Parts: sequence; C-alpha cells; structure tokens
Amino acid sequence: SLRYMLGRGVKRKLSDYDESMAAGLPGPFDSSPALPYPQQRQLVLNMCLRKLQSCCLKVEPSLHRSVLLSNTLRQIQGEMLNEDCNTSPLAVQSDRNAYSVDTSPYIGGNPPATPAHIPDLPPLPLYSQAEEANLMTMPSDNGMSSTVSSHVRVSGFMKDMSPPPAFPSWAENEELDFFSSSSSSSEDEGNDHPAGSRSLDSLFGSFEIPNSTSYLTDLAFDDIFEDIDTSMYDSSDFTSVLSFTAPRSSVSPSEDSLKPFSTCSSLSTNGIQICVTDLNDLDHIMEILVES
Amino acid sequence: MAGVGGGNDFQWCFSQVKGAIDEDVAEADIISTVEFNYSGDLLATGDKGGRVVIFQREQESKNRPHSRGEYNVYSTFQSHEPEFDYLKSLEIEEKINKIRWLPQQNAAHSLLSTNDKTIKLWKISERDKKAEGYNLKEEDGRLRDPFRITSLRVPVLQPMDLMVEASPRRIFANAHTYHINSISVNSDHETYLSADDLRINLWHLEITDRSFNIVDIKPANMEELTEVITAAECHPNQCNVFVYSSSKGTIRLCDMRAAALCDRHTKFFEEPEDPSSRSFFSEIISSISDVKFSHSGRYMMTRDYLSVKVWDLNMENRPVETYQVHEYLRSKLCSLYENDCIFDKFECCWNGTDSAIMTGSYNNFFRMFDRNTRRDITLEASRESSKPRGILKPRKVCTGGKRKKDEISVDSLDFNKKILHTAWHPKENVIAVAATNNLYIFQDKMN
Repeated sequence: SLRYMLGRGVKRKLSDYDESMAAGLPGPFDSSPALPYPQQRQLVLNMCLRKLQSCCLKVEPSLHRSVLLSNTLRQIQGEMLNEDCNTSPLAVQSDRNAYSVDTSPYIGGNPPATPAHIPDLPPLPLYSQAEEANLMTMPSDNGMSSTVSSHVRVSGFMKDMSPPPAFPSWAENEELDFFSSSSSSSEDEGNDHPAGSRSLDSLFGSFEIPNSTSYLTDLAFDDIFEDIDTSMYDSSDFTSVLSFTAPRSSVSPSEDSLKPFSTCSSLSTNGIQICVTDLNDLDHIMEILVES
Repeated sequence: MAGVGGGNDFQWCFSQVKGAIDEDVAEADIISTVEFNYSGDLLATGDKGGRVVIFQREQESKNRPHSRGEYNVYSTFQSHEPEFDYLKSLEIEEKINKIRWLPQQNAAHSLLSTNDKTIKLWKISERDKKAEGYNLKEEDGRLRDPFRITSLRVPVLQPMDLMVEASPRRIFANAHTYHINSISVNSDHETYLSADDLRINLWHLEITDRSFNIVDIKPANMEELTEVITAAECHPNQCNVFVYSSSKGTIRLCDMRAAALCDRHTKFFEEPEDPSSRSFFSEIISSISDVKFSHSGRYMMTRDYLSVKVWDLNMENRPVETYQVHEYLRSKLCSLYENDCIFDKFECCWNGTDSAIMTGSYNNFFRMFDRNTRRDITLEASRESSKPRGILKPRKVCTGGKRKKDEISVDSLDFNKKILHTAWHPKENVIAVAATNNLYIFQDKMN
C-alpha cells in the first residue's frame, strides 16, 4: 500500500513479507527440476505478470525493476509465439480472466497441455472508467506490447496517470499541461499514440518524479486567475501573498472569486501569515478551473 | 597494504558495531549508503529515514598502541525529508541513496547526499570558540540600547565545548525526472555528475539552478524502453571521462570532449553471454548494480547479481577477472525471483591499493577477493562473532552433499539479512559493513 506522509520519528517495522524471506527458499521450480520447460516458463510468465501488476503498489516503485520484468515478459511471450507459429495454430481465447490463469500451473495430476496458454489481452482504444472494468473485450493483434499494457491496466495502476474521475476532459486539454505528470512538458507522453502502446508508455512514465509541488509557485498567477477581478487589491499586497494561502477560517464561503486572495488586504495589515496549501484548497482551485 | 587471504599472514578482527541491537528493526534506521572520506578519518552513513550520521576516528592514543583509533559519532543531521505529491498521491522517499565526500579544502568538511530527487551539498564545520563582549548585544542576545553605551570594547574569543554543525550549502533540485541512483565527484573538484534511470547530468558545485544533460537514453516512445542506467562514475584522474552501467550488463565509457551530449559512447564493454548458462533470468542477473573505478584509473569493477568483474579499460570485449560471489544461488534463481531478492542491488569496493575487492551477500555474509593471490574469503557481520578484537572466522556455504561442521546450507541462508553497502578505508585495512540497521567496522589484526 502507498505510504502517506509518515511523520519523522515514527518507527515502521519491516513488513511481514520480508520476514517470510528469512525462512529460506521454498523453491517453486528450483526444488523440482523435473518440471518440464513449458511449465517452468508458464510459471515464470505468471510471476512476471503478477509482479508487473503489483509494481505500482509497492512502496518503492522502481523503473529498473519494471523494465527488467517487461523484458522478461517479452522474451517469454516471444518464445511462446514462435513456438505457436511452428506448431498447430493455438485457439486464441478472449478470456476476461486470462491474466489469472495458471496461478497454480502444476499441482500433481496432469500437466496442462502444451503449447501453454498465451493470455490475449487487447488494447483499449480510449481510457475510460467503464472500460477499466471490462478488461478484455476485443481481440488484439498487437502482440506483446498490448498484452503487457493491458495487464498493467488491470491493476488499476492507470489511475495515477488518468485524470481524476471528476475531470475526464483533462487528458485532452492541452492548456492544462502544467498539471501533467511529466516535468518536461515539451515531451509528449504518448498522447498521440495508439492506446495500447500508451499504457506501457504510462507504466514507465509513472516513474517520473513530479515537480508538481513547484508548479503552482512557478506559474504566473495572472494566467490562472485572469478571469477574476482583482482590481480592488493593491498590487503590492498581491505579490506579497503569491506563495501563501489564507487559512480556511478566514475564507468566506460561496464566493465566486478566488477565495485565498479575498483576505489580501487583511493579511497585509496583520502581517504575512504563512500557510501550507492543503489538499482541500487544491481541490477547490481545480473545481473553479473546470467550471469556468 | 596486505591482501585478504585466509592464511596465516592476514586476519580480520571485529572492531566496533553501531546501531540498535533489538530484533525489531525500524525501517527508517536501515542504512542505505556508507562512504569513507578521502583521508579515512570520517565515515558517513545515510539511512532510509533521510538522516546522515558521520563518524570520526579518534586519534590513536599512546595508551593503546595496539588498537587503531575508534570511530565515534561526530555529527548527525537530517539531510532529506519525505516529500509528498498531492496531485499524484505519490511519496518521494527521503532515503539517502548515495553520499559522496568532496575533497577537503579548508577546515570544514563537505559532502554531497542525494535521495531520489534532490542532491544537497552539506558543510560540516566545527566551532570551538565563541566571541564574547559584543558592544551592541548582551550575552544572552538581547540588543543593547545604543544610547546607553558609554565605552567600546573589543570582543574576545573564548573557548567553548566543541560543536559540530552541518548546514546545507547548496540544493540541486528539479533536474531529475526519474530516481537518482548515482552521484560522483569529478577529479577537477569543480563538477560532479548525477545519474537517474534514463539521464545523466553534469553540475557545477557552485551552480544550483542549472545542469548540463550529458546522457539521455530515454526513447521517444517509452514503450520502446528496454534498458535503464543503473550506475555512473567519474574517472578518478581524467576529468573528461566517465562510465555508466546498464540493466543489460553493459558499460559505456564516454568522453565529454567528444560532444555535448554523450549519447555515443567512446567505449562499450560487454561480455558475450555464455549460451550454456542461459535461463529466463539471464538478463535480470546480468543487470549491473554498481560500477567503481580502481584508484589507479586503469581498471573498473562491476557487480552483477552473482559475480564481480574487473575490466581493463583498454579491453572492451570481456573482463580481465571474474569472481563468483555466491554461485550456489544460480540454481535458486526462480525462488529469488519470486521473493524479489533477484532485484537486490549489491555494491562493491576496492581497497586503497587496488589489490583487493569486497562485496556483500546474504545471511550477513560479505566476500573479499585478493586479486594477486586469487584467494577469497567469506566473513559474517553478526553480533555473535563480535568480541572486541575477536578474529573473524571464515564462513563457508555448503553447496551440496554432506554438510560439514560450521558450514551453512544454502536453504538455511537468511535472505532478509543482506549486505548491500560496504566501504574500504582509502589507506588502511579498515572496512565498514552495513548490515541492515547496524554498521560493523572491522580492521586487520595488529600484532
């Protein structure tokens, strides 16, 4: 689970997951070397998919790890596809739960038939909340990249890259570029790529460290709030509170204009109060922007 | 400097251990980097909680001629704080990824410390005198009324208890989109490089608002990304040369005189893969986790998951020496992949004369290789073998067959106890080994 603002001095224990490693190596197929190669490969493939899906949920997401996992995935799938080309055609199944198949590939009994099942997961043309629930509805011929990308999408990881549900138009709104996750706004993070390839793009793109904490202070306030009448405020007061937000208690509700600046004049007489912009203020600013 | 061999001529002894003893380890206390300064008198550690602790070696006293100076805490400070991005609901970790000392130019000491995003230059200075007898303020700091002053005096310096202060002098921020994995001070002592997963930047130590991007391997289409930068280092003598390693097991040497953007390497080091040992995990275990130049600048050493390789800079097609760190893990790769240990990033280091190299392993074992005698030794950093000046007993892992006494079998290894960070004193046989939240200091036996 994501860690949120842990205070300094709070002792956090190592997770139980780590403790399980102290018990030694259980050995999925290390201890049963008799496992046939296709089953070994399927086992590794399944682990790879699970890890890719969960990589965004880890406390320390790592681009390095994701690249290694996706390379392994590509390698295995490439092998499997090559084998299928050489053997009888594999019935491609459009299976909603394909990604969860074969989590226990070989439990005594009969081994699964070879060639092993290839999860076939198509890309989705446009990201939307509805389609996130319907994972695989269309056949795909886009091979490995879409498979990887769709698996990644399954985990809900894509949420980080998409606009919040309340503002679905952000992805297309170029003017709000400064709210994008990329610090280099000149680079196009796959906005004009097919949706299937966009998600791998997004997988790797999510590892960018945002500099969004500085966005609001870097921008000229005039640009954001140009539709708000600020003529009544002295310009010197205005610039002196550029980085600050008034405390909520002094904000008058149901005001159409920019609330944080409604107490400009009082701030200048009472001295500058430095307040931290909290999440609620940002939400409010976003609401104003979208409604205007 | 002597080598490392397990023979009669050389032995390692326990010297000190720092850190809490209790079994419940607070995650913030996990040591994430260890580094000696140029003289070896200072030893810095960084941890996951964003703190830096600097130890200073006490002067060797005449009372105890058989013991080298001990390292005691010199300064502790919070280098980085966690940051939180509200828009993406992501935390930027405060964990110190690397510390690199700057050459000492005056009485103060300086170091660079970095987390995933921001590099900071810290100045550590001592204060053992204070001025007393100011004209315009009282001793407690209150201002004196200028009109009441009838005579002037010259402030006098009085001795005081030693105070060590750490202050951030430069903050190099907002230049990295991806997680910073390396920093390296250049031999010109004016510039340094910082590397993240896809880019390397060159900074001037005095200038914080911009840096030069000298390597950029980010593809236009991120879907095509198959390789990331894992480590980078400046050459110890030639200020125009640096190397960076990749997740595909390759090393590129670049010359900054050739072009502003060093995307085309000058040299490319890669060992051809052995087809007989190919597995699903071949690429993952070939990923280089650390690269270090020798002090001479003629060799470099790389660490991948199972081995350490020494490369001659003049030979690109294969390493000149390969040392197996824990080859017995090769048959356990699937399990290590399942529990994510296969992604552990071990570091490696040279001794001061480049005659020996050291790297860590699991179960709190660490390994040392003597390049001249070709002998190697496995030692353990544990409380049990920590008697003052007690000689460390070599350890051995039983790989098959009958387990001898004192050997440990592969399945009994504790993979939670990993030694990722080690450091070797630049001039003496003193080593610092970070075992989770404890720092062990070992030294050679003095007769």
